[in-house]
Amino acid sequence: MICRKCKAPAEVSLPSHNTAFCRECFQIYFTRQVEKAIRHHALIKYGERVLVALSGGKDSLTLMLELSRLEYDVTGLHVDLGIPGSSAPARAKVEGFCERHGLKLHVVELAKLGLPIPDVKRYINRPVCSACGKIKRHWFNRVALEGGFQVLATGHNLDDEVARLFANTLRWDAGYLSDQGPCLEAESGFARKIKPLYRLTEFETACYAFINGIEIHSAPCPYSSGASFTGHKELWAKLEYTSPGTKIAFYDGFLLRGRPAFAHIEQQSGAPLAPCETCGSPTSTGLCGVCRLGIAVAERRAADPDRQSDPDR
Amino acid sequence: MITVFVEPDNETLTFKRHNTVLMLQRRLGLRVNDALIIRGDRLLTPDSRLNDGDEIRVRKVMSTG
Repeated sequence: MICRKCKAPAEVSLPSHNTAFCRECFQIYFTRQVEKAIRHHALIKYGERVLVALSGGKDSLTLMLELSRLEYDVTGLHVDLGIPGSSAPARAKVEGFCERHGLKLHVVELAKLGLPIPDVKRYINRPVCSACGKIKRHWFNRVALEGGFQVLATGHNLDDEVARLFANTLRWDAGYLSDQGPCLEAESGFARKIKPLYRLTEFETACYAFINGIEIHSAPCPYSSGASFTGHKELWAKLEYTSPGTKIAFYDGFLLRGRPAFAHIEQQSGAPLAPCETCGSPTSTGLCGVCRLGIAVAERRAADPDRQSDPDR
Repeated sequence: MITVFVEPDNETLTFKRHNTVLMLQRRLGLRVNDALIIRGDRLLTPDSRLNDGDEIRVRKVMSTG
């Protein structure tokens, strides 16, 4: 294959776009997709400070590097989940990446806050991925607001977004369908949330990370086996293979024609939000979900006879 | 002989012969954009030819959480 633009030998084949690029032209293509997302959805305005959630994976580190190259004022945020054998290497990758590229980094340690994910898994009777996601989103928003950041950016790519949209559609979840998209405007105690990589696939972010020598944390989370999103992604990979371009058409079509309809429904039925009585985060239930989780974990940990005999367990 | 190292499974496979990357991908049950196919410091496209003695890294791209 040869590069569509410069006719040099290609390194990246993109059947969805019926094209292929050499690494230099792929970088230009990648940057243009990010710029297009930012421009079309007004993701970042001039002079705004951007907090970038960094997990240590290819997508978040790619986003951080690309936004910094586009000269946005970016700071990384890593939430250390406290999972033995997994969180330390992920954090090391994030810290090494930020140091190598001279980028600012803020770290939140859940163990120091009394809410390490292994304790959530042990003491809370709900899927741990759901609770973990809730806790991470809570801290992303809280650090953004307390740190004076106008924008919170995450590395969600097209595959993530299509899998999530598919899951929300299977449940006809009007609440989530009303606001899923590359930009969720700031309101009621929430920073603006943006997804500048939403036009790019996992394959494309992986190519970018490789070409740019980004060292990533690629080991799967030890708690995530059986997550439904993985199955949905597999389904969509099959669809995309047989009908290239299906993913972006599905997602763009939703943004254009689906979301406005659900947003209209939700405006009429959404529950009002008020600050959490403990931490000030927006909630519709007095105490926010993360504060309730923290109380439940602390109570059950204190009552656990195993922990009383071995506090480090 | 072609040596193939599969990530993140950390599995090493050897094959007597594969003419192209596409043939290797099919043998591994992978679609074109399921994984990066790497030789040295270069990415390979599906039509790239594989040679005897090649050491290939197959880096699956689907994140699982």
